[in-house]
Amino acid sequence: MSTSSLLLDYIKKELAVGSKRNIQMEDDLLSAGIIDSLGVLQLVAFIEDQFNIQMPDEDVVLENFQSVNSLANYLDNYQKV
Amino acid sequence: MNDVIIIGGGPAGSAMGSYLSMAGIPNIILEGSIFPRPHVGESMVTSSTRVFEEIGFLPVMEREGFIHKFGASWHAPGGKEFAIEFGEFPQEGIRQDYTYHVDRSKFDLLLLKHAESLGSKVYLGVHVKQVLFENGRAYGVRVIMGGIEVDLPSKMVVDASGRNTLLGNQLKIKKKDPIFNQYAVHAWYKNVDRGQPPTDDFIHIYFLPVERGWVWQIPINDEITSIGVVAEKDVFKQARLDYEAYFDAHCQINPDLVKAMRNAVRVNEFKSEGDYSYSMEKFVGDGYMMIGDAARFVDPIFSSGVSIALYSAKYGSERIRYALEANDFSEEALRPYEVKIREGVAIWYEFIRLYYKLLPLFTHFISSKKHRIEVLRLLQGDVFDRGEVPVLDAMRKYIETVEKADTHILKPNLALIPLD
Repeated sequence: MSTSSLLLDYIKKELAVGSKRNIQMEDDLLSAGIIDSLGVLQLVAFIEDQFNIQMPDEDVVLENFQSVNSLANYLDNYQKV
Repeated sequence: MNDVIIIGGGPAGSAMGSYLSMAGIPNIILEGSIFPRPHVGESMVTSSTRVFEEIGFLPVMEREGFIHKFGASWHAPGGKEFAIEFGEFPQEGIRQDYTYHVDRSKFDLLLLKHAESLGSKVYLGVHVKQVLFENGRAYGVRVIMGGIEVDLPSKMVVDASGRNTLLGNQLKIKKKDPIFNQYAVHAWYKNVDRGQPPTDDFIHIYFLPVERGWVWQIPINDEITSIGVVAEKDVFKQARLDYEAYFDAHCQINPDLVKAMRNAVRVNEFKSEGDYSYSMEKFVGDGYMMIGDAARFVDPIFSSGVSIALYSAKYGSERIRYALEANDFSEEALRPYEVKIREGVAIWYEFIRLYYKLLPLFTHFISSKKHRIEVLRLLQGDVFDRGEVPVLDAMRKYIETVEKADTHILKPNLALIPLD
């Protein structure tokens, strides 16, 4: 499974608050209220577990969590480095 | 001449009396009220068990059927629950993976009776008016009995007067905390929905989206649950509501709390607690010592109060024993007690400050494999003789990162609490 579909899957199952909408790869996760700040931290824990990485605290910024795609991009780049 | 006079028969005074009596040191406990009497502070941390065991009180706790507290649970405003269980981190020398929730009127009476059974002389309804001093050295207390003032001399005076801070007020050395000024309104309820096992007998903390606001849910017995609303005093003042309206309004904000309180019925009067956090400028002087809340009080979010009271009695009694052996009751001789308690409570305080500074961080840390166990250690009251506490450094570092990064996700969650 690609990074982005793995993330999307987890967000849909575990984090999406009160919305049954079909979440898209480009949807703005935070401003659309799909996940809150606690959800982001939960997502960080999931990522660290899943990809066996330690995500730096300073990378938990809006740019990286804008959408599923931006997060997947960040992770793919992170793993290359 | 009496050896030691202890002002106050709460947990600090009774534990002090117990330790001294066990060491063969004659002591008198003077309690102003007639027990049993109600008191706030109904939930404990597991470190208390060590003291109960040392003074032989643990069988009483078990016999009396106080509710076992196996953990704690936090409810975020969005309706997420985070729970911890004490069993995940066993403490050295403590065989029980639980602590207790207590009806303080019953618990305090039992502990006072226990001190008496060990040899402390206990007097109820004796009001201490002041500590007597000569050339800066305490030499006894002045009490009022039946309207008559009587002076009782002693080698050593222990102030365990709790939040009355008798000696701190007398010496004018009480300092309000510069950051925390919270206010609690609390009462007992029937028919609270405590949730499902295994967390139904945990303490439950419900976050409120007001400045440093939260609600406690503490099971007192099978029927009764203590509920308390805590927030900055300004939140209460600006609401301009009576206790009931204020309380009810704040119980409507957190969805999990709404569920818990749906059928709840209040069974006693609302009580309030103000002037939350404070410290005396010093905890010892020539011929005297302050223990428990009479020395220092920190925000009760982590149920630390009774544990600090018990440990200050433990370490304080050790110093008094040396003082009697050496016949040296000077401030200098008693100071090691103060250093030890200050260091321990400073860890609680730092933990509390970082917690309020960035609330989501706490839930993040207890969900994290890396930090969970170390946070649990703190939550159990493992704060004395610690030295470095790396998990607090990690919390602080995280907060600094958030402060620096302009677009950090948690930036809006930062509270206006200074870190230095």
